[in-house]
Amino acid sequence: MVTDHMLRIEGLSVSYGSRRVLRGVSLEVNSGEVLALIGPNGAGKSTLVRAVSGVIPVEAGCIQFIDPARGSMDLHSLPPMERARTLAVVPQAAVMPPAFSVWETVLLGRTPHLNFLGQVSAKDEDIARLALQKVDALDLSSRRVGDLSGGEQQRVLLARALAQSTPVLLLDEPTSNLDLHYQVSFMETVGTLARSDGLTVLIAVHDLNLAARYASRIALLVAGELKAVGTPCQVLTVELISAAYNLPVQVIQNPFSDTPLVIPGTI
Amino acid sequence: MSGKIIFLLLIAVLLAACSPAGTSTLAVAVTEPSASTSEGATPITLIDDLGRTVVLAVPAQRVVSLAPANTEILFAVGAGAQMVGRDETSDFPAAALALPTIGGYSGFSLESIVALHPDLVLAQGGGFNSPELVASLEELGLTVFSLPNPTTLEGMFNNLETVAALTGHVNDVPTLLASLRARVSAVDEKIMPLSYAPTVYYELDATEPSKPYTAGPGTFVDLLISRAGGVNIGSALEGQWAQISLEQLVVANPAMIILGDAAYGETPEKVSQRPGWGTLTAIQTGQVFPIDDNLVSRPGPRLVDGLEALARLLHPGVFK
Amino acid sequence: MKIRPFLYTLLFLVLVVVLSIAIGSVFIPPADLGRILVGWMKREALSEPLKTFAFILTDIRLPRTVLVLLSGAALGGSGAAYQGLFRNPLADPYLIGVASGAGLGAVLAMSLKWPYSFWGLMAVPAMAFISALLTVFLVYALARVGRTVPTTNLILAGVAFSSFASALTAWMMLHSTGELHRAIAWLIGGASQAGWGPVLTVLPYLALGLGVLVLSGHALNLLQFGDEQAQQMGLPVTRARALILLAASLTTAAAVAFSGIIGFIGLIVPHVMRLWFGADYRRLLPLSIIGGAGALLLADVFARSVMAPQELPVGIVTAIVGAPFFLWVLRRAKNQGYW
Repeated sequence: MVTDHMLRIEGLSVSYGSRRVLRGVSLEVNSGEVLALIGPNGAGKSTLVRAVSGVIPVEAGCIQFIDPARGSMDLHSLPPMERARTLAVVPQAAVMPPAFSVWETVLLGRTPHLNFLGQVSAKDEDIARLALQKVDALDLSSRRVGDLSGGEQQRVLLARALAQSTPVLLLDEPTSNLDLHYQVSFMETVGTLARSDGLTVLIAVHDLNLAARYASRIALLVAGELKAVGTPCQVLTVELISAAYNLPVQVIQNPFSDTPLVIPGTI
Repeated sequence: MSGKIIFLLLIAVLLAACSPAGTSTLAVAVTEPSASTSEGATPITLIDDLGRTVVLAVPAQRVVSLAPANTEILFAVGAGAQMVGRDETSDFPAAALALPTIGGYSGFSLESIVALHPDLVLAQGGGFNSPELVASLEELGLTVFSLPNPTTLEGMFNNLETVAALTGHVNDVPTLLASLRARVSAVDEKIMPLSYAPTVYYELDATEPSKPYTAGPGTFVDLLISRAGGVNIGSALEGQWAQISLEQLVVANPAMIILGDAAYGETPEKVSQRPGWGTLTAIQTGQVFPIDDNLVSRPGPRLVDGLEALARLLHPGVFK
Repeated sequence: MKIRPFLYTLLFLVLVVVLSIAIGSVFIPPADLGRILVGWMKREALSEPLKTFAFILTDIRLPRTVLVLLSGAALGGSGAAYQGLFRNPLADPYLIGVASGAGLGAVLAMSLKWPYSFWGLMAVPAMAFISALLTVFLVYALARVGRTVPTTNLILAGVAFSSFASALTAWMMLHSTGELHRAIAWLIGGASQAGWGPVLTVLPYLALGLGVLVLSGHALNLLQFGDEQAQQMGLPVTRARALILLAASLTTAAAVAFSGIIGFIGLIVPHVMRLWFGADYRRLLPLSIIGGAGALLLADVFARSVMAPQELPVGIVTAIVGAPFFLWVLRRAKNQGYW
C-alpha cells in the first residue's frame, strides 16, 4: 500500500536554554523513502528526531504531515494521542523495565488505537504479532525484556514502533549498540518495510556507510545546520564529509552496492 | 478487567454487611445491689473536664477506671467494691490488682470495656485519656466522666468529692477530706516558722546524664516541694518535663537530690558515679534519696502521703 | 487477564476478614458466633451474653475491620501508584510529604486544644487531611520547572518539606506536653475509634481515589518506559502523572486522617504482588489494593490480640512483621529481576 504522504519540516529551530541546537532546518521526507540523518556528535541529530516526535519544545518553525486524503496537519499542535497515530519512534538505548515481556512491550505500541483503559482486541494482537514477525522476533515473545541482548532489544523496539501502525517512522541512532550482523539486518528490515508498506522514514544514523547503503537520501547536519541534502552520491563527497568531520577521507565505490563507501584517513 | 469487577463487588458486599439488625444499643445490666445507701430519687448531674454534662440516675455501681489516680480515688472514697475494671497501670491499693484490666498506656480495648457492662467509665482529663477515647465510649452508649486534671491540692480534693457524688459516697467523703486537710495543715504549721528552705533537684529521667529531665513549674512535684519547705530548682525552667543541662545543675548546686526515677533502677550509688556529677554538694554530703514518684505525681489522695514524705526528707529534724 | 492472582488474593482477604471478626480482646466462642448469625437471619432479639457479643461485633469489630481494610487498600494502591510514577522501588505513599504534612496538621489541631464539641474532635482528622493535601500541592508547585515537573525535583522537594514539617511537629509536641501522648498515639498509627463515622467520612475520597488508580494501570505501564517513550506512544505525560499523583495523594491523605501514619504497607505490598504476579500495572494496582487491605487487617488483628487487652500500635506491627516477611519473599523469588 503506497500512498503519497510526506513529512515536511520547515525552518525548525530548537534551543536548550540559551544554547541554540538547531537552526532553521528544513527537510522533506516522502512515503516509501528512507532519509538518513548524518553528522558529527552534537550536530543535533537526536534533537531533531526528538523535536519532531514532540517531546522537546520547538522555538521556531513548523512540522507538518501532509496526507493527500486529509490535507496537512501541524504535528506539534496535536495532542499526544493523535500525534502517536501519525508518527512512531524507535528511541536510542532506551529505558526498558526489565520485567516486562516482549509481547507486553510490543502491545504497548498499540496504545494510540486503544481506549483509555488499555483494552486489547484480537485485531491489536494480530498487528503486534505481525510486527514481531517482520523484525524476525516472534520467538522472543515470552522472553523478558531485561534478559535480551542489545540487538534483540532494538528489534523489539522496532516491532513496537511498527505495531503503532503509523505512516511516519522516526529512528534515533538505533544501530549504535548493535554488532555488524545486526546493524545490517536492522537496516535491511527498515528499508524493506519502508518500500513495502509505504512508510515515511527519518533515521538518525552514526555510520556513514550504513546510511549510504540503505537510505534513499541523506541529510548532513553540522552544528545544528543542514549542510546538504541529496542522494548518497551527492552528499557523501570528500569535500563535504572531510569538512563536516574535520578529518581527511577517501570515498570509493562500495563493492556490494552502487553506493559510496567512506574511508577515514588519519588526523 | 474481571479483577476490577470482583473488587467492586467486594466493596459492595462489605458495605452491605454494614447494615445489621438496626442500630443496637447496649443494655446496661445493673445486676448487683449497691453496697452503700443510694441518694434518693434525684439524679446526679455533673459537668466533666470536657464540658460534657453527665447525668446518672442512681450512683454508679459498675465503674471502670481508665487511670491509676482514678483507681486510687475510687478506693479512697469507699467505692472500691463498685469497680469492675481498671487500666494496666493502676497498682494501688493492692485490692485493685484483682480487677480485670482493659488496656493501658498504649491503647484501651473498647471490647473489654463494653463486655464489663459498666454504668460509669471514669477517665482522666488534661491529656491523659484522649477525647477520642471518650467519644468512642460515648458512641458505644457508655456513660463517661472525665475528671479534670488538678493543679492544686484543693483541685484534688474537689475530684474526691466529685467521685464520691458519682458513686454514692457523699456521706463518707467529709471524714476523708477532714483527715487529709488536717495532715496538710500539720505540715504547713511545722514548715511556717522554718527559715531554711533547701534547694532540691527532683529527677524524672536521666537516660542521658548530661541532660536529665526534672519537674518544671506547674507540676505537683513543684507544688509539693514548695509546700514541704523546699525550693525546686526546676521551677525556673520551662515546661512540665523540663530538661536541665549538667552545667546548669552544677551552677544551681542543689542541697538535695530526690530520685523520682528510683522505680526505674536509679540509686544514689549510680548517681554518684555519673561523670561530672561528683562535684555536686548533694552527692558529697550524701543527700541523695529515692522516692516513690507515684506519691507526688498521681493526682490522687496519696499526694498528701507524698507531701509528708518530702517534708521528712527536707526537714528531718522537724518531721520524724 | 489472568484470574488466578485475584482469586488467591481475595481468598486471603476473606480469611483475614473472618479472623478479624472472630478475634478480639473479648473471646466470642464460635458456637455463639453461629447463634448470633442465626438470630440475625431470623430477626430475633438476642439474650445475654449473645446480645453483648453481637453489639461488640456490629459496633466495635465490624466498623474497625472496615476502616482498617479501607486504610490498607488506600496504602497498597497508592504505594503501587507511587512506585510506578517514580519508577523507584523505594517509593511509598509518603514520598512527597503526605505523612509529614498530615502529622503537622494533626498535632497543630491537638495543640490548639479545640473544645470537645463535634468540630473539636473532627478537627484532628480534618486538619490532617487538609494539610496533607496542601503539602502535596506545595511540593508539586515547588518542583515545577516550566511546564514539566521532573521526578527528581519532586522527590527532593518532598524530602525537604518533610524534614521541615517533622521538625515543626516535634517542636509543637515538645511545647504542649499535655497533648504529647495523644500526638504520639496518633502519629504511630492505629484505628481505635468506635462507630461507623470514620468509615463513612473516608469512603467517598477513597472510592474516588482508588477508582482513578485502578483505571490508571495502562498509563503506568507506559510510564515505566520513561516520560519520552510514554509520550511518543500517545500518553499526555504531564497530565497523566498529575492525575495519578493527585488520586494517590488523596487516597493516602484520607487513610492517614483517621488511621495515623502506618508504614511498610505501601512499600512492601506492591513489591510482594509484583514478585508473585508480575509487573503489569493493570493487574498490580487492584492486587495491591486488595493485598494492602488484607495485610493491614492481618497486622491489626495481631496488634489487638497479642497483648490483649492492651493494643500494640499497628505501625509497629507492620514494621516488625513486614520487613522480615518481605526479605523472606525476596529470597524465595525465582527471578531476581522482577522490577
